[in-house]
Amino acid sequence: MSDVPFKNPGWAGNTGEFDLTEDQVRGDDFVGERPKHGGHASGAGTMPYMLAGKNPEGPLFEGEYQERFEKILTRYPTKRAALLPTLALAQEIRGHVSPESMDRVAELLDLSPAYVRGVSTFYTMYNKRPVGRYLVQVCTNISCNLCGADEVVEAFLNYTDTELGRTSEDGNFTTIEAECLAACGYPTCVQINSRYYENVTPAEVPKIIEHLKAKGGD
Amino acid sequence: MAYPFVSDREVRVVSTHFGDPLQRRIDTYVERGGYGALKKAFGMGPTDVVDVVKSSGLRGRGGAGFPTGLKWSFMPKEQTKPHYLLCNADESEPGTFKDRELIRWDPHQLIEGCLIGAFAIRASHIYIYCRGEFFEANQVLARAVEDAYAKGYAGKNIMGSGNDIDITVHQGAGAYICGEETGLMNSLEGKRGQPRVKPPFPAAVGAFGMPSTINNVETLCAVPHIVSNGGEWYRQWGSEKSPGTKLFCVSGHVRKPGNYELPLGFPLSELIEDVCGGMRDGNALKAVIPGGSSVPIINAEEVARCNLDYEGCVAVGTMLGCASVIVMDDTTNIVKQVRRMVDFYAHESCGQCTPCREGSAWTAQIMRRIEDGKGTAADLDTLMEMTQEMVGTTICVLSDSVAAPVQSAIEKFRPDFMALIEANEPAGVAYHG
Repeated sequence: MSDVPFKNPGWAGNTGEFDLTEDQVRGDDFVGERPKHGGHASGAGTMPYMLAGKNPEGPLFEGEYQERFEKILTRYPTKRAALLPTLALAQEIRGHVSPESMDRVAELLDLSPAYVRGVSTFYTMYNKRPVGRYLVQVCTNISCNLCGADEVVEAFLNYTDTELGRTSEDGNFTTIEAECLAACGYPTCVQINSRYYENVTPAEVPKIIEHLKAKGGD
Repeated sequence: MAYPFVSDREVRVVSTHFGDPLQRRIDTYVERGGYGALKKAFGMGPTDVVDVVKSSGLRGRGGAGFPTGLKWSFMPKEQTKPHYLLCNADESEPGTFKDRELIRWDPHQLIEGCLIGAFAIRASHIYIYCRGEFFEANQVLARAVEDAYAKGYAGKNIMGSGNDIDITVHQGAGAYICGEETGLMNSLEGKRGQPRVKPPFPAAVGAFGMPSTINNVETLCAVPHIVSNGGEWYRQWGSEKSPGTKLFCVSGHVRKPGNYELPLGFPLSELIEDVCGGMRDGNALKAVIPGGSSVPIINAEEVARCNLDYEGCVAVGTMLGCASVIVMDDTTNIVKQVRRMVDFYAHESCGQCTPCREGSAWTAQIMRRIEDGKGTAADLDTLMEMTQEMVGTTICVLSDSVAAPVQSAIEKFRPDFMALIEANEPAGVAYHG
């Protein structure tokens, strides 16, 4: 609704600019590609992305991922504290956190499987079942809602021909409502995998969908 | 630099470099005087740092408005066990979008504030608990911390001062309640983010059972400026009890939504009419939530006499909270918006206290019944009575946050509710979360 006349150099691009690469959107090569091994240990726990390419059977915590897991462990006085970042790591690899992944994490951190199940289900960002290549989360909380977020949800569902919380037939899109994404001044805010799209209107939804379809992987 | 809108009424302290991607680079930050305050703080000693922050009158920017220097002074003076500084970057109060901007535009300002805070409370490890959805902010911050380590501003013997302070960026996983300080501590420890009973307070038993202090991003961002320029300098803005500047996150039906840094005590009507360019489409103002969704709604008459500081908001029966100003024009369906907020709290209730778990779910159901045109006038009495039981009866204030919008909306906009009840027709399209 608001016609905000700015070029946002964050990953949160205006919807008209989604053809740009992440570097171009940022106008700056500040972050760039971060290494799978997690870089410096201080930030290793922040690495997990939500990727379009998911491997539900992928090996957990091997090679560079193992390295990242060990870096995370060094940052906390207890093993238990590594639980959240480790679950996120499992999700980055497999796209969701299955009961089997939870059990593996429990084993690694000397926790009981039931405890890990209890923690994982407390947090919304762990997908407890598989989602599409693109997880579309539309903020419908008050600030976005005032500016037409419900219509944006409807547009995503109509254009991908699916229902709320279900994955489209081609396996590409799962649309859900999200709680406030903290981009209230740029409504409607939509988070698609790891990236924010701001100032989204229903008219722009087809463009976004077609762009993501053409893009395929990440 | 404008981002995205700018107003000449602004006083920029923490938001000076919004919109400038170069500011994220450590070389630029240092060239512009960055880490000078940290050096100065190391020269002053912990007690003097706490005193200068006390003298500035800086109050916590996360919502509660507790004096920062006083909070720091609660920490044990002797370090017999590890102390922790926690930075609350789990911004998720609906209407608030300042911390994400502070992190992604000026990460070193936050890191420097954290380091000064850690030095003041004798902490050797800083955990920045950053909201999980903020992939971008997380990456920017992680990169900045990595740079700080590489240049000797973090880790062992910082700037040759002999001080060792580690920083870890911790990514959350999607739970509003982790923004509550003790919920955050539980979450950091790898538990469900359920708030703890206080006392003991964090300064005695905090993260990992050790003395801890937790501060909001914006609070810590103000600290380097206060240490550099002194407490009196910060007091040139704002009022006696609420000194300094504050980021106001304005969203909703205004022409120019965005973050504006203004002196505390700024008149709310001028914020809307002047700074934000007035109401969208020339519509009339109906209601404002001045402090994020957890505070009472005020009507146009109250807006006209509301000054935006901690005391000014209380004077009109609401709270400043985290200064997230949500503006609604006369096309707004108040019932629907309040229902949406209650749905949010019902979703985010951690479930450990019965009044909150049950109360938020039932409130949401009754609100939806009214919105769907199936409510009765007695429902309004039930809502008032039930939400009254949710105030002050739980471990944390999430429960109170359900009561605030519901009670204030029924008190101030009863005709909106009655219109739906009498029409027996739904208010419009609504989706379930």
